[in-house]
Amino acid sequence: MKDEAGMPSPSNPLKDATGLGAFINEPVLELRRAPVRASLTAALEELDGRLPLRVPVLVGGERGADAGFESTDPAVPERVVAQAGRATESHVAEAVAAAGRGAREWGARSAIERAVVLVRAAAALRGRRLELAALMVRECAKPWPEADADVCEAIDFLEYYAREALLLEHGPALLQVPGERNTMGYVPRGVVAVISPWNFPLAIPTGMVAAGLATGNAVVLKPAEQSPGCALALVEALHGVGLPPEALSLLPGFGEVGAALVRDPGVHTIAFTGSGAVGLDIVRAAAETPDGQGHVKRVVAEMGGKNCVIVDSDADLDEVVPALVDSAFGFAGQKCSAASRVLVHEAVHDELLERLTGAVEVLAVGPAERFGTDVPPVIDREAVERVAGYVEGAGRSGRVAIRGQVPDGGWYCPPTVACDLEPDAPVLSEEVFGPLLTVERASGVDAACGAIERLPFALTGGLFSRSPATVARVAARLPLGNLYVNRGITGAMVGRQPFGGNRRSGIGAKAGGPDYLLQFTETRVMTENTMRHGLVVE
Amino acid sequence: MPHGEELLTRVGRDLHAALPSPSRHPIKALDAKGMELASRDAELRAALFRLVDVTPACRSLDDLARHLAEYVEEVDERPQALEAAMRVAHTAPGRRALGAAAATGVRHMAHRFIVGESPQAALGVLGDLWKEGSACSVDLLGEATFTREEADRYAARCDEALEVLSVAAGSWPGRHLLEADSAGPLPRVNLSVKVSALTPLMRPDAPHVGREDAAQRLRPLLRRAQDLGAHLHIDMESLDALETTMELVFELLDEPEFSDGPSAGVVLQAYLRDSGQQLDRILEWARASARRPPLTVRLVKGAYWDHEVVEARRHGWTPPVFEVKAESDRNFEELTRRLLDSRPRKDEAGMPSPSNPLLRVAVASHNIRSLAHAIAHNRATGGEDRDLELQVLRGLGDELGIAIAASGLRVRSYCPVGDLVAGMAYLVRRLLENTSNDSFLGEQQRGASIEDLLAAP
Ligand SMILES: Cc1cc2nc3c(=O)[nH]c(=O)nc-3n(C[C@H](O)[C@H](O)[C@H](O)COP(=O)(O)OP(=O)(O)OC[C@H]3O[C@@H](n4cnc5c(N)ncnc54)[C@H](O)[C@@H]3O)c2cc1C
Repeated sequence: MKDEAGMPSPSNPLKDATGLGAFINEPVLELRRAPVRASLTAALEELDGRLPLRVPVLVGGERGADAGFESTDPAVPERVVAQAGRATESHVAEAVAAAGRGAREWGARSAIERAVVLVRAAAALRGRRLELAALMVRECAKPWPEADADVCEAIDFLEYYAREALLLEHGPALLQVPGERNTMGYVPRGVVAVISPWNFPLAIPTGMVAAGLATGNAVVLKPAEQSPGCALALVEALHGVGLPPEALSLLPGFGEVGAALVRDPGVHTIAFTGSGAVGLDIVRAAAETPDGQGHVKRVVAEMGGKNCVIVDSDADLDEVVPALVDSAFGFAGQKCSAASRVLVHEAVHDELLERLTGAVEVLAVGPAERFGTDVPPVIDREAVERVAGYVEGAGRSGRVAIRGQVPDGGWYCPPTVACDLEPDAPVLSEEVFGPLLTVERASGVDAACGAIERLPFALTGGLFSRSPATVARVAARLPLGNLYVNRGITGAMVGRQPFGGNRRSGIGAKAGGPDYLLQFTETRVMTENTMRHGLVVE
Repeated sequence: MPHGEELLTRVGRDLHAALPSPSRHPIKALDAKGMELASRDAELRAALFRLVDVTPACRSLDDLARHLAEYVEEVDERPQALEAAMRVAHTAPGRRALGAAAATGVRHMAHRFIVGESPQAALGVLGDLWKEGSACSVDLLGEATFTREEADRYAARCDEALEVLSVAAGSWPGRHLLEADSAGPLPRVNLSVKVSALTPLMRPDAPHVGREDAAQRLRPLLRRAQDLGAHLHIDMESLDALETTMELVFELLDEPEFSDGPSAGVVLQAYLRDSGQQLDRILEWARASARRPPLTVRLVKGAYWDHEVVEARRHGWTPPVFEVKAESDRNFEELTRRLLDSRPRKDEAGMPSPSNPLLRVAVASHNIRSLAHAIAHNRATGGEDRDLELQVLRGLGDELGIAIAASGLRVRSYCPVGDLVAGMAYLVRRLLENTSNDSFLGEQQRGASIEDLLAAP
């Protein structure tokens, strides 16, 4: 399909079967325009005047305590961004009980009624998008372009799942033979526990919450302790547009709240995004079926990755270098999709390493609020120490090719490139989740594929090659959830790049894709006998 | 036909009549044939571009042949000749032969656009151009700049080019039309510079970062151009670089040490929807500036059309460029008029105004209609021919350049210098331009009549 300007126009599978209009991705802000930047700076100033925000425990619409712990600005740790109530185990029990009631009310509504609520919540977020981006700048040190993209992705999840849920209202067609009528349909599972991370403090909780709600479930949200402020914005948006209060509760708090939520027998589905260790704990805990629990819990888990990029000898290094820098150091490498290992064909290894090192040397490390910052601080002190540990280890089992400069104060971590590593160096197999990239020499694309196959992770990965045969071979071989060819490996878009890992990187269908919602439903099939006294009566 | 159109048509027909016959350039005619084939079949075109693009990265002839075969594999309808060529790709000697042929073909194409591997190597061509009546602007091709060293290296190459060209240009014969206009002398040496090559810190959302870094490398180049009496032209790239580029040029040229020189210029891209405001800004700056030499403005349509549209669509933005070719063409004419009209008028007695012009105008295009419009408007408003410069790209506008020179007008040929690897991005862009359906050259190649070619957009 071509439009009037001769450019291929996107074909849209969701084209208006829904009455809500076709889904399109929310446009990100055009930050290259000075007035747009000025509007963001103004929004941040306005937000700063209101800090700290107060985030209550919110159970069934009842506002509980809002003083228990604080989230702080990673660039200026003394600055308190939000003051949040600390949910307890009894809050968990109350919230799940409320959700049980909420699920009955919400699940009884038609899919279109539910979809309209989600679309309205998207509009509410859209109306606050500058302020929400500013909040991410403060609470998570997410630089403007990424913070803005995070808000857009949250809006996308609401809009996309609203439409997808409508498509699920009528189940797929089944084989029919004379004398019987077969139908299949989807119903909500009940209560969804959502446990979300801080690195996409709005988009990821929104995605998991929206999926649960779109399919008629009630949700209890336990956001990361580092970003309660962003989570509150989501809950407010939904409660403000007609979601029954009991259908969504907010439990700010730490790990023990999440653990209690996972164990609660009233929870049917657990949607989790976070570390592999916690994810596997959840899978184990969810397998328990205590007396009185009349169901087996389902877990949808998005866990870590060790994302590798293969660079073949025919790659265009002019494209490789910026794509790698962006994928490895954008948001200080704190994306589950971030690049952490590069496997380079030996013919171009030295040249790429030299250019990459030089490119990392000039990266600007600084606060997220400053336009022009390439690498913001990491989330907290623990992250600084973890990354420093890996850098030290890389120095012992290889060579640190470049380590950038950092400003004083704040949880800054110098962007680092390491090379010449021993094959068994831990940094080659463990997730670092910070601004550290390792570069390895590979004898060829097939050897590089072998190294990737040996990893337990299989989230994202990249290939730079200008040979169609190589692209096809690598795509067929690698087990990755998301393979990106000749581009950066982060920035999956809802509806365009459904996102999620395979192997130890995750269980469940891809977020932002057409099969994600099924996980939040139960399937029912009905077969009706249409023979009466030897006659087919249909 | 309005009065202006009549004059325009006459100018256009004269220019067209002055074009050398293609039959006298058999090699170019052959090239044109290949281009024409590519412009008719989108898949073939894609295969050709991918081949050209990958050539410098291929390690051997076998490697090149393998890539070629894979690209051709994806073309549904293959011309006979290509089909035959692919059959030999199944054996190693066949591949070597095929790879050698492809490498020769690509090198040949590159030579059409790239005048030499280094300024030294380019001197022969540049001197010949000058003798035939065409000035030049040299553009140093390079890989993208990501590091300080790369930016320093590019700046050093620019510095060296200024030096080498100045020495050589000293012995070129006098060419009155190329060396002065009514505002004064025009430098023989003219270098085009890209800001994105002068800094690794181009950040579209933080123009000041790149500006500050690039300034440290552009300033010494301006000094050097001043010492040597050369002209420095700052090219315009994609919209992401526009703020950085304009702010940088305005800021540096306003520094006191450059108030008397060197001669310098910027580029205005007519395909930008807001190019009218860009021109306002240039004029405003020129009026306010205490600088003596007039700023040269090279008017172009814009070379990053596909990039701007794709980038905007990917992000859900309204493209910053016009989406109908005729709108770019019309805007080009509008901006041409505004640029020419910005110059001081002759007084009632027909004497040139004593005030220095704010700007010098250079109109860069291969579109005979666009050029004829500029020439005609200049004449119709009492301008002198020598106060309008016309510019063409080496490899695309060679014949046109000859025709312009033969018509007694000043022409400057933009001449890329550099090796094949570094020149690839440039080469691919030019090929794309030459074979796109919308392009004037494409239309001309397909044999459109001069009436159609000169019709108002
Ligand atoms: C000496 C010289 C220097 C140059 N320097 C620069 C520079 O610094 N920066 C730069 O960007 N370019 C530069 N260019 C390239 C120039 O911008 C054009 O790409 C090129 O000259 C083709 O335009 P044309 O007028 O010759 O041909 P035409 O065929 O008349 O015009 C083609 C142009 O029209 C525009 N166009 C094509 N399709 C559409 C569409 N669907 N809708 C709207 N517009 C469309 C595009 O700009 C395209 O390049 C330079 C060109 C020359 C000759």
